[in-house]
Amino acid sequence: MSSSASNISATPAIGGISYLFPASTRSVRQLSQDSQLESSVETLESFGFENVHVGVEESPYQLARDAVAKLIDEQSIDPESVGLLIYGGTPGVMAFSPAGDAAIGAAGFCTTDRFKYPSARLQYELGLTKAWTFAIDQMACTTLLAATRIARSLCLTEGIERAICVSSEFFPMYAGREAIFNCTSDAACAVLIERDGPANRLVSATTVTKGYYWDTDSRRDEVVASYFPTARHVALQTIDNAGWKACEVDWIMPHNVSMRSWEILSGLIRLPNAKLWTDNIARHGHTLAGDNFINYRDALDAGAIEKGQKILLFSYGFGAHWTGVAVEA
Amino acid sequence: MSDNNVLLVTGATGLVGGGVLRRILEAEPGSRAYVMVRDELRWRSTEQRAFGNLASRITPVHGDLTVRGLGLDYNVRRRLTREVTGVIHAGADTCFSRSLAEARLVNTEGTREMLALARVCGRSRRFVHVSTAYVAGRRCGLIEERDNGSSAGWVNAYERSKYEAEVLVRKADFDWVIFRPSTIACDSRDGSVSQINGMHRALRIYHRGLAAMMPAKPGDLLDMVTSDYVNDAIVRVAFDPRASRQTMHLCAGSNAITIGDLLDAAYELWGTDPVWKKKGVERAILTDLDTYTLFARSVIETGDPRLASILSSLSHFIPQLALSKQFDTTVADALVGHPAPAVATYWKAMITHLMANNWRCVTRAAA
Ligand SMILES: NC(=O)c1ccc[n+]([C@@H]2O[C@H](COP(=O)([O-])OP(=O)(O)OC[C@H]3O[C@@H](n4cnc5c(N)ncnc54)[C@H](OP(=O)(O)O)[C@@H]3O)[C@@H](O)[C@H]2O)c1
Repeated sequence: MSSSASNISATPAIGGISYLFPASTRSVRQLSQDSQLESSVETLESFGFENVHVGVEESPYQLARDAVAKLIDEQSIDPESVGLLIYGGTPGVMAFSPAGDAAIGAAGFCTTDRFKYPSARLQYELGLTKAWTFAIDQMACTTLLAATRIARSLCLTEGIERAICVSSEFFPMYAGREAIFNCTSDAACAVLIERDGPANRLVSATTVTKGYYWDTDSRRDEVVASYFPTARHVALQTIDNAGWKACEVDWIMPHNVSMRSWEILSGLIRLPNAKLWTDNIARHGHTLAGDNFINYRDALDAGAIEKGQKILLFSYGFGAHWTGVAVEA
Repeated sequence: MSDNNVLLVTGATGLVGGGVLRRILEAEPGSRAYVMVRDELRWRSTEQRAFGNLASRITPVHGDLTVRGLGLDYNVRRRLTREVTGVIHAGADTCFSRSLAEARLVNTEGTREMLALARVCGRSRRFVHVSTAYVAGRRCGLIEERDNGSSAGWVNAYERSKYEAEVLVRKADFDWVIFRPSTIACDSRDGSVSQINGMHRALRIYHRGLAAMMPAKPGDLLDMVTSDYVNDAIVRVAFDPRASRQTMHLCAGSNAITIGDLLDAAYELWGTDPVWKKKGVERAILTDLDTYTLFARSVIETGDPRLASILSSLSHFIPQLALSKQFDTTVADALVGHPAPAVATYWKAMITHLMANNWRCVTRAAA
């Protein structure tokens, strides 16, 4: 399913990006010593990973709240001007527990605590009193791209002027720190969407969901093999929906999976003039849903992105989801 | 070939040797054959399944291509040297993943032993050697029906050992003919597959969505032939005087199929199966060999056991796709009297057959 540039009048745009990592950082070597990895240190280092951020004292909620507060502050926006808040990431009541007590938080799903929602609490604590507020779930690392896509659509169809999307993803505590050869980080990332912005415009979005791959354990081989052809399909479709030619794409803002897999995917997508922003793979690892926007912000701050450049954001939600978003800087 | 011939056949329990022998015995009621087999029980089951009444004209003798002197009993060897009027050597190790030493032992040294035996068979008129079109190895473009040299190298040890066997055959000081089939796909009449080979296995892996990409361009040719064409051609030409010291491609040649057409037809057929369609398996991407190799190497290095073993098995075969070649069939077409059927005429029937039989063959699986 995709939405194209042709059926919109205003062009919603990214008005700001703010992110936060938890305080603690671990090297790949330390993670391996603590038996947090499945693959060898050598393999993961050769794939480009060095350090990741690990939440201990922080809760996903706290990090999400602080990231949104930072965004509001950095962009100097009136909280009451926000018409939509979409939360994605660590689900429900689990988000309130410090990472070290994740299991206690998870137990809350079996009680009436399950009705305590981070999205509502965010709205209250940050004074976003006019924001329609909800959460999206089950899209893994594509969550924040999906949230921006929804925000973009609602800005256009419902006349919402300003939306905030926030993801706060903590890797499950007992799952180690590796997801199919990728070293994972905890992080929160908040994105401001303006209904009609002058820069960083959201031109098109494409998502493909293949429900067959929902059972990632028993279909692991098929999941690994299907990643590349579907990723290529979605990337090219996103570019096409934006009305761009492959040779016009200037940047790919990736999700921070292994350098090796990006080498392979780049060979398959063949965007002859596109550079890949890989600086964050070594220093931050794969922050699940936040990668694309954290990379985008850092690339902007580094002066790497010039106004008008064409940028492809792509991410894969482990299992069934592939999403691409085209942004014109 | 005249009646009352006595053939010595290797590989009679295999696809080609068995098929050729059956047709010769059917066509020449006065002929009989010795089959050199290494496993008596396997021969017995082949005999019952494939030869029926013809079996009374076949004498199995125990022998092994990997053993010096073929491991033939002294009296058996004497009998063969006195009676045999022609040798058909179709025995081989057709597994693509063997080490060079293993492949050479059966395919090169085994051929050396067979040539040595043929040399002392006083009545033998010709040594019929079944080779493979893929002795061409990494060579691309038009492949001629001759020794094209070894400078291009090979994709696997099988190809190399078969090339080295051809070199030995050409050096023989008696008459020979070399047949080079490409991949034997199925029977042209109904698409039935009587032996699953690397190509069928690869196809199945793509059907399951486990290989993701293919190192080829849409217009590259993939050559394959039908078992009936190969068997008929060998029977027809094996002892034809015009074929003396000739090498010929039993290949589709200009009737091969492009990778693009092959995939179009395959995915179209697979798409008619609602269960397959529901999975959303993406069409394999055609890419360059470097990208494919990086993908395969990454999976193998990261050690995902099942996918790694699938990709390593493909690694002995798939790189051939990136080495596009067209086999010249001028000599074969002239001697056989007609070209091999176009792949497009049976490709879909073969896939339909494989799908209907849950990717199993009619009889047995080989390499
Ligand atoms: N099938 C194809 O697609 C294809 C394509 C091109 C060329 N060819 C060539 O055609 C020839 C026959 O191939 P095929 O497909 O019929 O092969 P196959 O079905 O694998 O049969 C191989 C035959 O060789 C025999 N053999 C193997 N090792 C032996 C040994 N150490 N001593 C004695 N006999 C031994 C096997 O006997 P057991 O039953 O005891 O194993 C079997 O009879 C080969 O030279 C091959 O290179 C085949």
